[in-house]
Amino acid sequence: MPPTETKDRLHGTLDALVLKTLSWGPRHGYAIARWLEETSQKALQIEEGSLYPALYRMERKGWIEAEWGTSELGRKARFYKLTARGRRQLRTEASEWTEFARVVSSVLSSSQG
Amino acid sequence: MARLGGKHELGSPLWRANVGDEVDAELAFHVEMRTRELIARGMDPPAARAAAVARFGDLAAVNAECRDIGTSTEREMRRTEYFAELAHDARFAVRQLVKTPLFTAVAVATLALGVGATTAIFSAVNAVVLRPFPFARPDELTFLFSSWHGADGGVSVGDFADWRKRSTSFANMAAIQFVGMTLSTGDSPERVSGAKVTASLFPTYGVAPELGRVFTEAEDQPGQAAVVVLGDALWRRSYAADSGVIGRTITVNGGPATVVGVMPATFDPTDSHEALWMPAAYTPERLAFHDEHYLTVVGRLKRGMTVAGAQNEMTAISRRMSDEYPATNSANSSHVVPLGGAVIGTYRARLFVLLGAVGCVLLIACVNVANLLLARGATRSTELAIRAAVGAGRSRIVRQLLTEGLVLALVSSVVGVALAWVGVRVLVAAAPANIPRLASTRIDAWVLLFALGISVLSSVLFGLVPAFKTARWNLESTLRAGGRQSTATPRDRVRSALVAAEVAIALTLLVAAGLLIRSAIYLNHLSPGFDPEGLLSARVALRPAEYKAQTEEAEQTFTRILEAVRAAPGVQTVALTSQAPMGPGGGSNGIVPEGKTPDIKNAVDSRLRVVTPGYLSMMRIAIVSGRDIEPSDIRGGLRVAVVSAALAKALWPGQDAIGKRFACCEGKPDDPRWKTVVGVAADVRSGGPTQEVRPEFYLPMTQIPAEAWSWVGRTMTVVARSGNGNGASLTPGIRAAVKTIDPSIPVYSVFTMDQSIARSMAEQRFHLMLLVTLSAVALLLAAAGIYSVISFVVALRTHEIGVRLALGASGRDVVRLLTRQGMRPVILGAAVGAVLSVWATRLLRGSVYGVQTSDPATIGAVIAVLLGVAALAILLPARRATRVDPTTALHG
Repeated sequence: MPPTETKDRLHGTLDALVLKTLSWGPRHGYAIARWLEETSQKALQIEEGSLYPALYRMERKGWIEAEWGTSELGRKARFYKLTARGRRQLRTEASEWTEFARVVSSVLSSSQG
Repeated sequence: MARLGGKHELGSPLWRANVGDEVDAELAFHVEMRTRELIARGMDPPAARAAAVARFGDLAAVNAECRDIGTSTEREMRRTEYFAELAHDARFAVRQLVKTPLFTAVAVATLALGVGATTAIFSAVNAVVLRPFPFARPDELTFLFSSWHGADGGVSVGDFADWRKRSTSFANMAAIQFVGMTLSTGDSPERVSGAKVTASLFPTYGVAPELGRVFTEAEDQPGQAAVVVLGDALWRRSYAADSGVIGRTITVNGGPATVVGVMPATFDPTDSHEALWMPAAYTPERLAFHDEHYLTVVGRLKRGMTVAGAQNEMTAISRRMSDEYPATNSANSSHVVPLGGAVIGTYRARLFVLLGAVGCVLLIACVNVANLLLARGATRSTELAIRAAVGAGRSRIVRQLLTEGLVLALVSSVVGVALAWVGVRVLVAAAPANIPRLASTRIDAWVLLFALGISVLSSVLFGLVPAFKTARWNLESTLRAGGRQSTATPRDRVRSALVAAEVAIALTLLVAAGLLIRSAIYLNHLSPGFDPEGLLSARVALRPAEYKAQTEEAEQTFTRILEAVRAAPGVQTVALTSQAPMGPGGGSNGIVPEGKTPDIKNAVDSRLRVVTPGYLSMMRIAIVSGRDIEPSDIRGGLRVAVVSAALAKALWPGQDAIGKRFACCEGKPDDPRWKTVVGVAADVRSGGPTQEVRPEFYLPMTQIPAEAWSWVGRTMTVVARSGNGNGASLTPGIRAAVKTIDPSIPVYSVFTMDQSIARSMAEQRFHLMLLVTLSAVALLLAAAGIYSVISFVVALRTHEIGVRLALGASGRDVVRLLTRQGMRPVILGAAVGAVLSVWATRLLRGSVYGVQTSDPATIGAVIAVLLGVAALAILLPARRATRVDPTTALHG
């Protein structure tokens, strides 16, 4: 198990990624997992199971809403949808990440002066 | 990748399914989709499934975590949803109520009136009866009375001393003697009511002084320097709440006394409002003296001891004392009464009668609101049917109607509490001063809770009836009928029953009020036995310190006062008496006629009046036979007495009392000083019109023994009659006259006799005023209820009435039809009410005079009034119906 800080960072990261996924429209858990897998070119290796508690937690926070619908294969599936609050959260997370990345990369690219 | 979409089922019932099932299904779906994908990539099914499960991770742990989070989310959402719906319902209810301002105003006013009246009276009942006494463990406190022929009375010092010594039931026992005291603080003497008490009084009540200390057993001994404990009110009034008063010497009854403490305002041991306490300091002779019953005795029961247990012990003690002191105690027993019962006494019953009466008013108010809600439910049937048609569930509609009821109740209770606040003030201001603890009536949290409770209960309860009726309506037929009702629905029966109920309740209240009115008329016409016109009475007290030894001087001083007042301007006639009718003072003696053994068993308890010559004629008390007390009745002459008719009858039934002798008032029982009856006077209602006539006897002031001055506290009442009929105009003249004799003599308790009579009946009047007001409100509400029901029926039947008119019915036919239908429940209600009132007014037995509680004349008169008012309430809307234009009615 990674240290707590890393785990939190990972949680936050996962949340941000899921919110991003849902910003294009409602989808079910498996579809979210598949999208994460493909867009991150498998660089982001998460245990698939950990996606679901994250979804339930975000539902509780009111960032996403779940509704039962019919999947493309005609099966009942639970679809998640971004709420207005979730959209705001996504913007916050995105700008935080950009800021974090900028700081880290500026540190990394700086020459000893 | 294809957009994952699909048809969304809004508000799908699956959402409400068990969270656990949802989690299972969702996770299973994931594993299955992954398995399919792996199979599509060429894996064989069992291997694909194993791989999918492996990739997922700890399935059981994830499942448990999701269930956990999901359950709390679910709970929260339900709560949010519930409050959202409630807020929506409340907003909707407010909109509905605002939309129908007349309905809302009538409903709120009706309920608020009921709630306000009930709350105000409940506050009073709470203050007087229910609220605990401000003493430690008040249920242990008891009063101990000496009983003589079944009547409770004061206790002699000797009896008190023996009771205290012999009994084991009480943790402590104390005696109180109420005495008028003269305080000389400034230039004019102030007369206050005080008490001489044993030092045990304060520990018995378990109340500590707010300042200084209480007096000790050592200070409660004869010959000790006088100490005094002040009451909070006197301390604030006369000593400006100065804490420096402790240790100061003040002048009480002409002698010095050191202030040692101040008791808190809540300390009013017997609700007698005495201003100060001094040690009783009984002498050994007093402690062995078993006659003269003037003490109020209070005992605190030992922990775990019951009143009945204490009573058993006291009965046994009294029996032994009867044997030991046959001359004084042979007919005495003792009575242990709980403090609450003794102080609150009859007020409990009266206040509960009032509470019952306001409960009835509240009930009528509720019935009216129920009627209004029913009528409203009917007019809203189309709206509700449409809402049901678009999918609102029955429970949802009921909830909506209940919310409306609740909003109505809340608004009404706010208005009602405001009314109660005003009501309590009016009540306390209008009430006679002697109702114990009433002045401390407050609207407290309990009272508010009570008001809110009854209001919510009533409007929800009665709101439910129309709610369920409405919810049960046949949707289709309602819509098809265009909201019009057919003539005889079950709701008509409900409405009729409600009208009958409110008529019955109103009738009961009106009968009660009628009885009290008749009783008041009777009391007003009752002769008091004397002529109160232009009479003024004033108390005059000599200070014991200066007049103690000199009996002669007391007599001379009073004689001089009498002559000075006689010369005062406006005074037509004047006399002195130890006790004027309805006035303070006096005492009673057991009187034994000559020829019977001078034993207390043969004695007739009779009120003593020490009077100056001409008292009877100046009071215009009729002399039945013989003569008045005359100036010739002097010391050394024949000892004379005038007896009242009641006493003459008790002592010498069927005989002429003139010339008969009786033993009384002085000397030893074996050496009586005989009094010869020289006159028989008509009976006087000395306790006021509501009190029974008691035997009385009159002795001339100039013949009374020296001890008698201490019985009457060296205090006499001046009664003077004004020539112009206005007794009050004599006040300055009498004050000035007394001042010329001795400026230190206080003149107090100055009242015209009319005031005294009014005061003696103040309680009855108060009771009467409240019940009459309440029954008037009840009548008004019942009339409003009948009116609104008939108006509603007329409105609903406009169509039918139009048809009847079009078919040739006359306006009179329509009025007759509506009246017949309207009066049916009224007559039924009146019949039920008549029976009910015979039963209910029994509670008034102790409060009415000169009339039987089930008085047919009163009930008949009340029924006539009620039917008349009901007929009027029906005729007004019925006449409106005859003006219906047939064409409009049929088109509508």
